[in-house]
Amino acid sequence: MKKIVTALAALAVGATVLTSSIAAQAQDKKFTVALIPGITTDGFYITMRKGAEAAAKAVGVDLVFQGAPEFNPVLQVPVLDAIIARKPDAILIAPTDKVQLVEPLKKAHAAGIPVITVDTFIGTGNYQTGAGEADFPLSYIASDNVLGGRIAARALAKSIGEKGKVYVSNVKPGVSTTDQREEGFKDELKNFPNIEVLETQFNDNDSNKAASQLQAVFARNPDLAGIFGANLFSAIGAANGVQQAGQSGKVKVVAFDAPPSIVDNIKTGLIDIAIAQHPAEIGYYGLISAFAHLTGQSIPVSIGTGFTVMDKDNVDKPEIAQFIYKD
Amino acid sequence: MSAQTSTESRADPAKSRSRQLILRIAAMRAWLFLAILLIFFETWSRISYGQTFLFSSYNAQSIAIFAVAPLLLALGSTFVIISGGIDLSIGFIMGLAAVIAAHATNLAGQSLPPFAAMLVGITAGLVVALGPGLVNGVLISKLKVPPFIGTLGMFGVARGVAFLLAGGTTVPVANSWFASLGNGRVFGFPVVVIITILFVLLMHYLLSQTRFGQHTYAIGANEQAAIRSGINVPRHIRKLYLLSALCAGLGGVLYAARFTAGAAQAGEPLLLDSIAAVVIGGASLFGGSGTILGTVAGALVIAVIQYGLVFINVEPFWQFVAVGVVIIISVLVDQTQRKLGGDR
Repeated sequence: MKKIVTALAALAVGATVLTSSIAAQAQDKKFTVALIPGITTDGFYITMRKGAEAAAKAVGVDLVFQGAPEFNPVLQVPVLDAIIARKPDAILIAPTDKVQLVEPLKKAHAAGIPVITVDTFIGTGNYQTGAGEADFPLSYIASDNVLGGRIAARALAKSIGEKGKVYVSNVKPGVSTTDQREEGFKDELKNFPNIEVLETQFNDNDSNKAASQLQAVFARNPDLAGIFGANLFSAIGAANGVQQAGQSGKVKVVAFDAPPSIVDNIKTGLIDIAIAQHPAEIGYYGLISAFAHLTGQSIPVSIGTGFTVMDKDNVDKPEIAQFIYKD
Repeated sequence: MSAQTSTESRADPAKSRSRQLILRIAAMRAWLFLAILLIFFETWSRISYGQTFLFSSYNAQSIAIFAVAPLLLALGSTFVIISGGIDLSIGFIMGLAAVIAAHATNLAGQSLPPFAAMLVGITAGLVVALGPGLVNGVLISKLKVPPFIGTLGMFGVARGVAFLLAGGTTVPVANSWFASLGNGRVFGFPVVVIITILFVLLMHYLLSQTRFGQHTYAIGANEQAAIRSGINVPRHIRKLYLLSALCAGLGGVLYAARFTAGAAQAGEPLLLDSIAAVVIGGASLFGGSGTILGTVAGALVIAVIQYGLVFINVEPFWQFVAVGVVIIISVLVDQTQRKLGGDR
């Protein structure tokens, strides 16, 4: 018995020495964390980078930001490979495809580099479950896009007096985030029996097309009450269609995302409501999670970040304006 | 071939007359397509909704506004394609011009009154657009780079520069004059449509009534013959790519005015639509044939299909199918026309 106690005590001391030496080592060595966005030329990811930078500064980590100029796995994978070759201590990545990025990210995992996905996910987005090929990332940190769609639906319903026809102006089918926004939007509107949801119009990220689609839908449905633009180009295009149809203020436009230009659009009345994600929060918590893992803390397998609803009345208030994306 | 054709026509005047008729119809095929489409949508709309499609000024204006951007790109492309070339860089030249116009208008607005600031913005957008056009022209005429490759390169350059200047985001413009240029109306007509119509007339005159236009056809029909007949082909080609860039620049400036923001990716989805408009309009990708009015009809065909299918509430993906089918039919008609000896 005594022997066992001694052994345990020795073990405990040993473990303490070991962990403290690791901790000491950790403090000596500066960690490097890589952030690979879905696309480098987008205010959303630029803001995410600012959040990650703030966190990196706070905990003394080096942040590497590298990505491709297009949201495309063919361009993202070479960037990822180059980053893996540099052996960072952790990788934060917004995978551009939930299937095609699995194998490339496995290489990082095999090389012992912890992977955290931000904004988008691989596989199902449920990690560390022991199921499937793509459960190895430690955590998925992102806005809950279904929830974002629901929030957009509630805001739009309120602004049109909970009745009338609405539709979703969307980019193209198959994009996980915009699909989820549409899903949440439509699902939430089932709670409003006097709102009719017309067929979704896909615009291929072409504002000109989104505008024309609005005019065509309005021509057939003069009682159109509102539109949900599932991303910026869809919303701006649909809003221009509303303007061309002489319906500004009568047909309400809800936009998803809040780049700096959205402020002007809200003030001029082009856009009525914007649903801002919190990309800085995603970047901040992504980096902190990586740091926590590297210093031996456990981290949650998913973190959902919030949304802010912006309109003419609140967009100037500092507590709201802080969620406008950065240049 | 032509000698043989003439003997045949002498032998059988009746047959020749019907062939002449077919050729004339083939040359007008874009307008024919347009008429068929309009009849189709009008009939469907009347039967299903008891509502007119064609005789609604709202629909007509919506389609016209929609057609403006692809048409402006297509006008310049018509010249380039007639000369036997192709310009793939126009989509991103358009985006570049939109970003420059937005930035310049804002910058000038700090020290100048809004109207003058708008003029500075427009000028800056158009002038900067000429840069990539000049490089295209030099690459193709002097360094003998194939147009497809040269303009593909400039596509990347213009795109990268536009994204860099825009800082990866859209550049909002705060200028009331600029906004009313893009969205205002004069006597009920949208300003962008009026500008585009005037520009179309100018381009039509340039192609059909001037020596510049004749030389463009000559180079496309037979470059060696054009050189031997004393045309300064390299200089002419440089002018063509400048013209193409200018059209794209105008498209970009009007885009920025309409959406009160410059976006680098503004023209990206329009490139293929604009080339399709030129081909549907009757131009041959082998060079030597095509007209501005045909291109106008081609652009309207695409706009009517895309607008009309939404109007009658057809599953959106049929739009791609419909535009594709029209392009294929159009090229088939072109081939038949050539076989019948309808070369210019």
